[in-house]
Amino acid sequence: MVNPVLLIAVPLGLAFALPLFGLISKRIVKYIPVVAFIFNFALALRLIPDVLKQAIVVEIGGFPPPFGINLVAGPVGVLFSALIALAGLLVAVYALAYITEGPKEKYHMLYLLLLAGATGVVLTGDIFNLFVFFEILCISSYALVAYIGDRAGIESAIKYLIQGAVGSSFLLIGIGLLYGLFGTLNMADLAQQIESASSISVFVPMVLIITGLGVEAAIFPLNAWLPDAHSSAPSSISAILSGIAIEVGLYAVVRVLFTIFGATNMFMFFAFLGVLTLLIGEMCAFAQNNIKRMLAYSSIGQMGLIVFAMAIATSYALTGGLFQLVSHTLGKGLLFLTAGYMIYRSGSMEISAFEGMGKRMPLTSLAFTIGAFSLVGLPPFVGFPSKFLIVRAALAKEEILFTVLIGLVLLGTVIEGAYFFRVVQVLYFKKANGNSERKDAPVAGLIPMVVFVAFILVMGIYPQLVIEVLNSAASELLHRMEYIRSVLG
Amino acid sequence: MSLELLLIVAFGGALLSYLFGKICPQIRDPFAVISSVALAVMMAFLYGKTMESPFYFGFLGLPLILRTNMLAWFFAMAISILGALSVIFSWDYVKDRERTDFYYLMLLLANASMLGIVFAGDFVSFFVFWEIMSWSTFLLISYNRGRALGAGMKYIIMSIVGSVSMLIGMLSLYAIYGTLHIATLSKLVPSASSGYLLFLFILFGIAFAIKNALMPLHTWLPDAYAESPTSFNGVLSGMLTRMGMYGFLLIIYVIVGAARALNLGPGIFKFNYILAWLGAITIVVSTFIALLQNDAKQLLGWSAIGQGGYMILGIAFGTSLGLAGGIFHTLNHAVYIVLLFMSVGAVQYRTGGQRDLDSLGGLIKRMPVSFIGALLGISGLIGIPLTNGFVSKWLIYKTLILEGHPFLAFAALIGTWGCILYCYKFVHHIFLGQLPEKYKMVARAPFSMQLPMIILSLVILLFGILPGIPLKVINTIGTSFGFQSLNVTTWGIASETGTLNTINIFAAVVAACVIVWLIFKAGPKAVPVAQEDTYAAGAAIPKDRYHYTVDFYNPLYRMISPYFKDFIGGFCIKLAGWTQNVCHGIRQMYTGYIGHYVMYIVLFLALLIFVQLKWSLW
Repeated sequence: MVNPVLLIAVPLGLAFALPLFGLISKRIVKYIPVVAFIFNFALALRLIPDVLKQAIVVEIGGFPPPFGINLVAGPVGVLFSALIALAGLLVAVYALAYITEGPKEKYHMLYLLLLAGATGVVLTGDIFNLFVFFEILCISSYALVAYIGDRAGIESAIKYLIQGAVGSSFLLIGIGLLYGLFGTLNMADLAQQIESASSISVFVPMVLIITGLGVEAAIFPLNAWLPDAHSSAPSSISAILSGIAIEVGLYAVVRVLFTIFGATNMFMFFAFLGVLTLLIGEMCAFAQNNIKRMLAYSSIGQMGLIVFAMAIATSYALTGGLFQLVSHTLGKGLLFLTAGYMIYRSGSMEISAFEGMGKRMPLTSLAFTIGAFSLVGLPPFVGFPSKFLIVRAALAKEEILFTVLIGLVLLGTVIEGAYFFRVVQVLYFKKANGNSERKDAPVAGLIPMVVFVAFILVMGIYPQLVIEVLNSAASELLHRMEYIRSVLG
Repeated sequence: MSLELLLIVAFGGALLSYLFGKICPQIRDPFAVISSVALAVMMAFLYGKTMESPFYFGFLGLPLILRTNMLAWFFAMAISILGALSVIFSWDYVKDRERTDFYYLMLLLANASMLGIVFAGDFVSFFVFWEIMSWSTFLLISYNRGRALGAGMKYIIMSIVGSVSMLIGMLSLYAIYGTLHIATLSKLVPSASSGYLLFLFILFGIAFAIKNALMPLHTWLPDAYAESPTSFNGVLSGMLTRMGMYGFLLIIYVIVGAARALNLGPGIFKFNYILAWLGAITIVVSTFIALLQNDAKQLLGWSAIGQGGYMILGIAFGTSLGLAGGIFHTLNHAVYIVLLFMSVGAVQYRTGGQRDLDSLGGLIKRMPVSFIGALLGISGLIGIPLTNGFVSKWLIYKTLILEGHPFLAFAALIGTWGCILYCYKFVHHIFLGQLPEKYKMVARAPFSMQLPMIILSLVILLFGILPGIPLKVINTIGTSFGFQSLNVTTWGIASETGTLNTINIFAAVVAACVIVWLIFKAGPKAVPVAQEDTYAAGAAIPKDRYHYTVDFYNPLYRMISPYFKDFIGGFCIKLAGWTQNVCHGIRQMYTGYIGHYVMYIVLFLALLIFVQLKWSLW
């Protein structure tokens, strides 16, 4: 039996050891994240078969829950860890050639910290521990947003920091209130005792926690930091922020709502909120001429879709929502990575600067197109089965309200299609003005793109590959009693 | 022969053509032609077979199924033959363009996905192939750059709207019946409530009406037809647009069945009546708009919208006669519109892409085969006896009159009258009249363009003189929907009110031709004179000054142009503008001022707590 704690310990340890490696040789530093996430990805895959049978509960320091801090490597945790490791690995490979300037050592260290924090959030079974890992994630991402060091980067990092700090304070207050009420921080224990308290005294900490986490999860109207931060960060970091960071935030919201509070009566509200987030995100993306801001707003839209799916709260819907998380990581990660090199070559983030890219960077443009098609939900790419499941789940409710909501969701898809296809047209069907030298991204940039494309295609054509994990992850979220039993015994 | 093999040939042909184009470009064109012709030949062997087999199990536990029957075969045969002819036509047409590998890939992909659509035995594969068709078509429509980009955007946005609507429809079927297998659904769905059936019809109807360009959902079509490469127009106008017709047949007659589908709805607002009236409006409006066009491809595009209305009129009333008319008209229209586009394409190829009717003229002597093609094409389009269009229009008129819909029949007639006018304008402006100086040296179309035109011209005559050949197949389709069999012979069709016998007409026409020929033979010999002589009675006139094809139908134009504009198209453009404004407005919410952002967060929290304290909602 391998210990899931290694999933957190290895990147965290390597992050702190990284400056020491830097003393030995400056060149090996950038390979350390690659090694760390190869290890993590292999470990997560290795854990999946065990976890599908039964969740692994790790007691830190030998204290049984609810007294000590514990890790719960259930299907959800391992699914997210695998996803984080995969995206982390690919983006780390991309960064080998992409990050050439600035304090590189610090970049790689913060990168490892960010993803270690993210892995910690999804694996922990203790709500205060969740807060700690969440802060590791957030603080390293504030720093990374400002990595380029230009005015826009620093400005948006500060904005992100302020909003993030407000969110974190709410989160901490909420956790404090809960601790005061129940005298425990263990999530399973909290979940068990939550019914014993009066509804309003539980409600206040719940909304505090949800608001706090919602800032990172990019739920409307808490998401104003996102477009700035995602567009001024280096593209490799944008890929991680969009593909991993906000999804981890969303995971935390879902975990709190489903497992700790079992707040089924709030789901309708979240369904509306999800649709609203989706429509606003997609409409703002439609109005953008800056590629990275467009992608950032599109992430808001996707988060809205996932919130909507989760709020339907049937097993189909959760499977679909989790699948959409996976497909969003793959699609948006790919899009940011390809956009990174296109921006690098054209020297501008304006979409109009990409005219004729289809000729100048054929493979990169093709990868961008596939990512865009997948996000819109066209077959045979991975976005199709995930959207398929969500729409099906909404219609299976057989309520007119949900039919209307899914209609609005799909209206969002139409807008999404409009702005993505517009970019595809610019790439392929506009003549390059000026420089039309053919030069694709370097190999270290192309490899992650190709791997992303391969995943998008394989999962799109053969979704059975992941559906089993997704199903059991969905049932873990849906059945809080089983979660409690598996942790507390 | 299995259906999987057919689709592998179709999709494999597309991918291999692309690869060959990259590796050794010389064999790409022959390969594309051979693979598409081989596909058509293989398809012919599938005649009369009925089979069904799942081919893939990996999609979310839903087996993907391929099946064939007469309906599928009929469409597949037309798709593969017209596809092969378009590929042959493309040989010279796209030779000197850039990105030809991409062009062939998308062309063959669009063809292959259409085959997938008609052979799909369940809605998932139907939808998957439908989407592949949509995006490959989008990429091809945008191929010409410039104005084509706008046309492509219009197409893909409307296409996504259609797909989304279809997705909701099909997944509600899945949610209720737990299956997407078409054969199973066709047993289960007919017992559903009327309200649900209407819901289904509306959702699927939007998708198929967009594809079939039924008004008011036609706005993508004229620009898409006009701006896409003319060699692709054959595929686009022939069968791709008519996937909407296939869809209508599928949802109305296969899934729901005639017994429930007809007369569904309250009073006069029955589903099929509304459909028929939309078809009639489509015919009238688009015919008049076609009259106003001076662009050859726009004219054909508007004409195609109108002809789609005839098909809808045919199938809307659920009689065996009408159904036969509707389906036969789909085939006939495909044949002659492809021929007409090829004729325009040949002219464009030789005149440097000219498609403005006012600038062309007199090409009859320079490009005789293209002229014959255009002439037979418009004859079919108008529905002159002994061409294929006559038979299907006859069937449709007959149905409308027998079912007691004189107004609809009148609308169809108006469409035909208008059609005569714009068809004449079309053939006159390109081939008759004076040949402009700059086109004096225009050469004939290359053989790769002439061959498909000759084949299609012959098909028009063949189906016009011996309509029984396709009608027997169509009759089998009708009986498979549960209608009574028609009395079809090779040269005609009998109905309770009169019999159509094309052989008699043929004999009469031949006799008349012989008599006319004899009279001319007996008269004095004709003396050829210069064109200017007949016009100016021998007086000297400057040659370029009397080209009278400009402002053709001017009085008519002045009369109808205020009323028959593409109002809906204009509305869609406005809608796009409004959407843009709304989007920009909403974006202003992100002010860039951090104080506001923090306020949003605090307000959100405060609102939640306030609502709970006040109303205890949660």
